Amino acid sequence: MAFARIWHMLGGRRRRPTSAQMFRRAQRLRDEGRFEVAAELIENALLSEPGSVVGHLLAGSLHMTLRDTGLARTSFERVLALEPTQPRALLGLARIAIEEGEPATCRELLSRALARYPDFPEARALLEVARGLAANADATRAPTPSDAIRSDRVRLPAESREALFVRRDATLVFATPRGPRTEAVAASAVKLARIATAMLGRAGFGPLRHAVIEGAAQTTYLRTDDAALLTLAFDSDVKAATAVAHLERVWGSCRSELA
Amino acid sequence: MSAVVAERPVLGRDLRGLLAELLKLEHVTGGLVVAPDGLTIAADLPREIQAEPLSALAATLGRELELRGPQLRRGTFPMAQFASVSGTAFLGSTPVGFIVLLGEPRADWDTIRAALRSAVGAVYRAWAR
Repeated sequence: MAFARIWHMLGGRRRRPTSAQMFRRAQRLRDEGRFEVAAELIENALLSEPGSVVGHLLAGSLHMTLRDTGLARTSFERVLALEPTQPRALLGLARIAIEEGEPATCRELLSRALARYPDFPEARALLEVARGLAANADATRAPTPSDAIRSDRVRLPAESREALFVRRDATLVFATPRGPRTEAVAASAVKLARIATAMLGRAGFGPLRHAVIEGAAQTTYLRTDDAALLTLAFDSDVKAATAVAHLERVWGSCRSELA
Repeated sequence: MSAVVAERPVLGRDLRGLLAELLKLEHVTGGLVVAPDGLTIAADLPREIQAEPLSALAATLGRELELRGPQLRRGTFPMAQFASVSGTAFLGSTPVGFIVLLGEPRADWDTIRAALRSAVGAVYRAWAR
């Protein structure tokens, strides 16, 4: 009887889960959308197994999902310290580099991943974008003449809150209003168009021609071709048909002025 | 007193089901749900289109829009569409990632945008912390 009680006590005592079990559970929690709980579990598991590549990779992925780029970078760097050609960590860091406007770093990381794992379609797709962005960044741009196109000559609509006309090499032609961040916004618009064109290509479509980006208060309408890009931002209550009509008219004026 | 458990709305939690509903829209040829780190959560695409590279680029585009749009005023972007002469990609932003829909040129943009807006709202409600 006493033996049975002792046996029951020993059997009933819960064993501490192994790190592998904790990582599996964290992955399940992540799939259920319980990101913070999953991140906490991984953090605990990594305390007992700090050399786990899987654990650091999971942590990096979770931090990216929670949009915490700094922590994600640390996790991916730890993976690379353990396994220098780990493809997912190289891809993770490459994605962070492209987000932070460092296409050359992105290109270098992806090239490393592809040298080791040539069959890596995600890396190849991102590398195409990074190469284009790096070429743009390296290109010597012609100085923008202050009167390349005057915005009053293209008759911007009164409802438009912001207007930007830029060459596809990110040379600013005109912007209304113009401020200290305008050049950065122009570069960002060109980068966006390049990534969108790459995405459309992977979807079996042709290059980007139009875009509509809804924001909380404003909607941005974009028109582009291989040579230039125009954006007009309107308050969200402006009808799409009206905005598109304005966009097409201003685009026509801009393109003929540029020609 | 009965214990009342406030359950999260089911519709927005089932991302595969949500995507399947969106794919019923006329002239929508495929779509996917991708996490912000670029991992594909769900995909239903024409056979000739590879999910992984499309997911990687959609997540990159989504993050770019989250971080800096093509305008001076920064803010959230619930939805965007990118059109070429041969088709349009719609992108919706949610806390768990991005929903991508691919449409033929003759697809009704307003209908797709309204459906995607509703889906994005359902995901927000379901995954609210």
